[in-house]
Amino acid sequence: MLHKIVRFSFLFMLFSGLLFSCTKKEYAIPDPVSQLTNDCIKRSLGPNIANLPMEFAYAMAMPKPLGKLATAQVEATYGGATGTFLENRSFYTNTSGVDVPVLVGAPSFNVNKTTIMAFSVDTNAATLRYYYVVPDSAMGKTVSFKFSVSASNGQFASYNMGPYNISRMSIKKNLAVSNGANAYISIEDMAVYNGTAAAANPGKIDLVYLYRASPTTFTHALVSPGADPVYLPGVTLPAGVNKSAKIRKVFGLQDRNLANLQYGVYVDDIDFQQLDMNDMPNYAIGLRAEAGVWVETSDRKYRAYIFVNSITASGTAVISMLRYTM
Amino acid sequence: MTKYVKLIAVILLFSAPFLSCNKNLPVDEDGLLITFRRECFVSNFELLGTDYITVRNGAAVIDTVAQTINVTVLAGTDLKNVYPQFTLATDCKLDPKVTGKTDLSDLANPKVYTVVSGDRQVRKPYKLIIKF
Repeated sequence: MLHKIVRFSFLFMLFSGLLFSCTKKEYAIPDPVSQLTNDCIKRSLGPNIANLPMEFAYAMAMPKPLGKLATAQVEATYGGATGTFLENRSFYTNTSGVDVPVLVGAPSFNVNKTTIMAFSVDTNAATLRYYYVVPDSAMGKTVSFKFSVSASNGQFASYNMGPYNISRMSIKKNLAVSNGANAYISIEDMAVYNGTAAAANPGKIDLVYLYRASPTTFTHALVSPGADPVYLPGVTLPAGVNKSAKIRKVFGLQDRNLANLQYGVYVDDIDFQQLDMNDMPNYAIGLRAEAGVWVETSDRKYRAYIFVNSITASGTAVISMLRYTM
Repeated sequence: MTKYVKLIAVILLFSAPFLSCNKNLPVDEDGLLITFRRECFVSNFELLGTDYITVRNGAAVIDTVAQTINVTVLAGTDLKNVYPQFTLATDCKLDPKVTGKTDLSDLANPKVYTVVSGDRQVRKPYKLIIKF
């Protein structure tokens, strides 16, 4: 008798459980676009660096019977540097995967922190690219954006993006160096000087570029002025050029920004913060194209990553630099 | 008959945990398995710079009788910041361990690395001699 009751209870619970689990939530049909709506994505990757653009794609649409798009604008917490603009062309991707532009308005203009673009064609949908060139004043801070669009019927929509951290790194690309001529590199100025200019700014020179075909292990080198003269063969330094920076050789660290948008690797602030430069030498010899060096200035004010873009056998090279202020 | 089958099943069930807990595979202080192997030697040696590219100028010469490793390095190599890599006989380990960047700049006093065999009974010190 007891067994029967237990079995009955078990079966009852089993079936009631099934019934409970089958309770359906009411399905809500997504609301079709019935008014002006917008959306936004950030297209650029990697750290946000001063004087480089951050790229966004801002999409907006409304039902055709309601009217047409009138203006689009973006307000940033810090006014963008020169080169900041909102595209006056809308892009769509064709069947071959190519982004095709369609002119939709007059070129944008900047007023303080806001970039404005007025539509000049009768359209009720557009996707505009926004390029925000990070100003120097935003370094080490965060930047937010308010994208907004207004329509001919008075409707208004907006979309907030951010906050985004702005790196404390500065960038300088494609600096030409040459053996015995433009050979003096300043991390502070992120510049290359010749002997005369180096003599005028001796305290700013951190590295000397030199090329020696022999010994074969030497070739292209970045050497601190304060290094053992054996690593500066035949070099007569300008008076007062004697600083000693720490240098750490790297290979295969092809930062996308320094390598002119090749590769998918980024050097970021945290790399400089966690870099171990203890006991590093003050010279790096045998450098080749796509190699690099981490550098710490003698006053420890700056750390830098110098990437070798290209070299020639005649003793010239092109370098690019990321500098982090400690 | 069914009774015997049930009895055997119960015995097997209860004996399983005891069998699985039977430890007869000893490990050393590093958690590495101590085996029966007595081979104890260095079979290959590599020396890398901070860019993880070799700083050797030619292959390292390993003398398993004299227990020395002779390496000639490239001119200008910063021996304060190098990464030595040893290839050892099966189940061996190295003492001291190479944990990362190593200072091998004291050429007058070559560093000694001891190879310990798989059974942890044989220890062979190798002198690492570096020349420019």
